[in-house]
Amino acid sequence: MYLTRSEYDRGVNTFSPEGRLFQVEYAIEAIKLGSTAIGLQTKSGTVLAVEKRLTSTLLEPHSVEKIAEIDVHIGAAMSGLVADARTLVDHARVEAQNHRFTYDEPIGVEALTQGVCDLALSFGEGSDGDKDKRMSRPFGVALLIAGHDDLHGHQLFFSDPSGTFVRYKAKAIGAGSEGAQSTLSESYNEDMTLEEAEELALSTLKQVMEEKISTENVELARVTKEKGYHNATTEEVGAVLERL
Amino acid sequence: MFGPTLVIGNDILDIGTSKFDNERDQRAIGGGAMIPRFAFGEPGQFDVPNVADPAHFCRNNFASACGNSDANQTVKFAKGTTTLAFKFDGGIIVSVDSRSTMGAYIASGTVKKVIEINPFLLGTMAGGAADCSFWERNLGMQCRLYELRNKKRITVAAASRLLANTMSSYRGYGLSMGTMITGWDETGPQLYYVDDDGTRLHGRYFSVGSGSTYAYGVLDTYYRKDLTVDEAIDLGKRAIYHACHRDAMSGSINNLYHVTKDGWVKIHAIDVNDMHYEYLEDKKNAMASS
Repeated sequence: MYLTRSEYDRGVNTFSPEGRLFQVEYAIEAIKLGSTAIGLQTKSGTVLAVEKRLTSTLLEPHSVEKIAEIDVHIGAAMSGLVADARTLVDHARVEAQNHRFTYDEPIGVEALTQGVCDLALSFGEGSDGDKDKRMSRPFGVALLIAGHDDLHGHQLFFSDPSGTFVRYKAKAIGAGSEGAQSTLSESYNEDMTLEEAEELALSTLKQVMEEKISTENVELARVTKEKGYHNATTEEVGAVLERL
Repeated sequence: MFGPTLVIGNDILDIGTSKFDNERDQRAIGGGAMIPRFAFGEPGQFDVPNVADPAHFCRNNFASACGNSDANQTVKFAKGTTTLAFKFDGGIIVSVDSRSTMGAYIASGTVKKVIEINPFLLGTMAGGAADCSFWERNLGMQCRLYELRNKKRITVAAASRLLANTMSSYRGYGLSMGTMITGWDETGPQLYYVDDDGTRLHGRYFSVGSGSTYAYGVLDTYYRKDLTVDEAIDLGKRAIYHACHRDAMSGSINNLYHVTKDGWVKIHAIDVNDMHYEYLEDKKNAMASS
């Protein structure tokens, strides 16, 4: 008897006859509901910018945090289910600190991303031997991980619910990602300064955001070799917005 | 955590699964009653002796070298040191020697006994060098995670409690550590003493190690709350000097740190032998004038 598609989109560990894992694909769809996040890599640093959706005027804008510090030299921007992202971010922080403890050196950006993706992929039923409770479903979140290490310099990685990660020069995720990505493709060049990258990130966000862009509804962070991860203050965001 | 997960009358369907293998392994080694199953992030980050009762094994073979409790042990730890720290109006002074001994043998004269946990926290090393260095690095990791998760620096009280909790969870396993955790936090300068049996004390001044009695003598005589920074540095230096002079297990270099509201600064690293002649000169002059 032919089984319809719906028979295969229940379990997270069952391939459909066409070779697809529907739950993972649905999780990737969940990201497209999330607010837009943009990451840019330049020769002097990486930039992360995220739109904050302020659903109510009574909402405290600073309580919405979508860019997180992983370690001194790495930051991550999230889009999708933010609660899921918190789990991944905390895991990433532990990975980074464990690496420092074991090797007495900062973790590489790619190694950190791999660590996050290992967790992202470890969903499903698990076996009896597992002590830790596993996530029963894929994480509904995509991350942009920006950082610097001595081996590969400034880097920007994109990771999604399937546990795949890819390095990008510039990447947009979330609801406005299609429009934003095409803007980035047109305007990005490798020789941009960090300031130009910040301007491009915010002007791209401005185009795809439904609300009027302001210092309240965007979050901006940069990672440089000299100062490491730095979350921009309201004044710093304002200064970039004025240059647009 | 130590509880056996042994099921009597194992389900035959489990044969060939990891659950069955785990249980079989547990039964094979020492009846399976005391095989701890550790997970990352909990005590047990390193391996414990592969015997039925690791705590008992450690007590018999790695107990403290002080006293007679270790008369029969094959591995003998012999150690000695002088470390001290005190709070005063200008912050905190941490002063230590740098000798590492194994009985009569001086293994090193350049040990860093002040462990820089982070720019605002210092720990000192007395007892087993490896135990102190490992667990204070581990503490540094926990403090950094606290900082990332809570977006503020950890208090010295909380940091010292983390270390004391670790020590409590390994009580009886033969760890050897006597440390002072100091730093400047939102409540001002703080100083705690933490040791391997889980003791955690808050105080104005402490000295730890075989030379501590000599250091306490100097501190008890000359310590005042209102010392100037220069006087405090001199007191820290002298206390270590006198301990190094009388205690055979202490000596070499005096490392001294000053903790202020902006974090710690290393003040000096002076050879106590040079200090000896400096103080000898002072003593001669003092005697001549009186």
